[in-house]
Amino acid sequence: MIQIEQLRKRFTQGSGRQKRTVQAVDGVDFLATNGRITGLLGPNGAGKTTTLRIAAALIEPDSGHVRVDGIDVAKQPSAALARMGVLSDARGLYPRLTARENIVYYGRLHGMTAAAAAARADVLAKTLDMQALLDRRTEGFSQGERMKTALARALVHNPPNIVLDEPTNGLDVLATRALRDTLRRLRDDEGKCIVFSTHIMQEVERLCDHVVVVAQGRTVAAGTVAELSAATQQTDFEETFVKLAFPATFSSGVPAAGATA
Amino acid sequence: MIAAAWVVFLKELRDALRDRRTLTMVLISSVAIGPLVLVVISQLVASIEKRNEAREVYAVGIEYVPGLKNFLERQTFTVKAAPADWEQRLRDSKLGYPVVVVPADYAAAAARGEVPVVELVSSATDQRAEGGSGAVMRLLRAYNQEQASLRLAMRGVAPMALETLRVDERDLADPASRAAQLAFMVPFFVLMAVLYGALNAALDTTAGERERGSLEPLLMNPASRLALVLGKWGAVATVGMLIAVLSCLSFLPAQLLLRSEALSAMFRFGPGEAVWFIALLLPLAGALAAMLMAIAIRCKTFKEAQANATVLVLVISMLPLVLVLNQDGAAPWHLWVPALAQTTLMGRVLKGEVPPMADLLPPVLVCAVLTVVAVLYVSRVLRSAALK
Repeated sequence: MIQIEQLRKRFTQGSGRQKRTVQAVDGVDFLATNGRITGLLGPNGAGKTTTLRIAAALIEPDSGHVRVDGIDVAKQPSAALARMGVLSDARGLYPRLTARENIVYYGRLHGMTAAAAAARADVLAKTLDMQALLDRRTEGFSQGERMKTALARALVHNPPNIVLDEPTNGLDVLATRALRDTLRRLRDDEGKCIVFSTHIMQEVERLCDHVVVVAQGRTVAAGTVAELSAATQQTDFEETFVKLAFPATFSSGVPAAGATA
Repeated sequence: MIAAAWVVFLKELRDALRDRRTLTMVLISSVAIGPLVLVVISQLVASIEKRNEAREVYAVGIEYVPGLKNFLERQTFTVKAAPADWEQRLRDSKLGYPVVVVPADYAAAAARGEVPVVELVSSATDQRAEGGSGAVMRLLRAYNQEQASLRLAMRGVAPMALETLRVDERDLADPASRAAQLAFMVPFFVLMAVLYGALNAALDTTAGERERGSLEPLLMNPASRLALVLGKWGAVATVGMLIAVLSCLSFLPAQLLLRSEALSAMFRFGPGEAVWFIALLLPLAGALAAMLMAIAIRCKTFKEAQANATVLVLVISMLPLVLVLNQDGAAPWHLWVPALAQTTLMGRVLKGEVPPMADLLPPVLVCAVLTVVAVLYVSRVLRSAALK
């Protein structure tokens, strides 16, 4: 379970006269429960990546809290990270190591023994259908192969919570479908709490049990796809999203943004 | 934390050792070049020695002055006729010795009471001829002196009257000191081996990791940042030391190839010296690894890091030159400057000295401080580096 409460983060860019501040996150708030795929939907620059980076203890928030299974990330980052598998926007692999070595390395960093990490790599390879890749060096892997390896690496310690930042970026249709299947299986078979950020409507519609719409750094709406569509009186989810995320550019008479949040 | 650092260390070491192409280049440039230069220089020294031993004077028209020929032979020199095209060969720097030219009218001019002119020809472009001309000039002067003394004696004047002082020349640039100059190269090459060995690994584990986008996921592990940096640092320093050990060992067989007997007698670089070298370089390898990482972590790409690291590489390679340029000899502050201290101490080991503990402490201390500061700095900026 990942609980995000009133998260705020301001960045300062440049220095001297060119100094300017950007309020990247300005009140993101949501709850991702176990056995559910929570989609973090928002336009580019809405603060999704910053929110997830705060959740992964990479950035400290100005205010607000992130709790992973009740553990405050800011106070006990190591304990929180041990219960989380994060697939960030950056998914660099070590090109001179094989896929298995990449996965085992992270397992070892999570405190697993070499044997346990290797065994886990085999299990994950089966889950992600990448047995053929395991003992190849990752140099020259395709985007889909890289994503699978990076995902296996993030899941090596079998975390109850999984955070994915735009995981389908750069993937083709088949790889995207394979990823969706994997995430569903992780939810249904193992009851994982999955948080997954994206700006693509179809993905949310097809996959997410719960949607959190983020715009301009804050949560503007939350609910199932059906609930959000009903609230905005739309049948098309894209229209729903635009209405929720960009209320100013849309015609008036729409229920106030955040009404369902 | 130790366990995590160890995991990182093993992974980085494996990663670095798999970078075969880079390692090959480093091995060629830092391990093979040193002994090669050593052998080439020893051949040069051997040829100079050979010429000194030969005691030969090359001349044209020596038959016009039988007295000079007789004088030279009395000084145990052999007089040889210069080859026909000696002038051209001197210009082309191919002759290697100066030529004494006696004019055909030498005897006639002397009989007329004139001062005949004898030419000593060499060429500034022919280094070896130029070097040998001093000795021949002295021989000619000595002959002149002898003739003048004889004339004075015949007129009843004591030759002492013209001699207010006597100059005895001693050339201290014997093969022994040449060997010392040569020996200076060994510490320099070994030092460069540490630097170039550590360079690539240091950049790859920091700027390379940023460029690949693998630093951000790495920081999402529960391992502490200090553990990550310590593991990386240990691997980089180890690779640097590995190259240094290979470089040290490569000088051992190179000695067998030394052509000059005087050199090989003087140039003592045995397993004992090699062990000393490795021990002296160990703290420096640590400091260099940490400093290179501290420079590279600020850079977004490997290329940018390479450009930035050039400054450090340049400084480290220039520092040992202080020993060559500084005419005052070894100063106490040399031991407080990294690279310079190691070169100084290695030079002393080569001279057969065992540096006292008091002299070993300053460089170790300086390297330790540099290492700690740089490692802490890297672990502090690691997170912000991952996100930019």
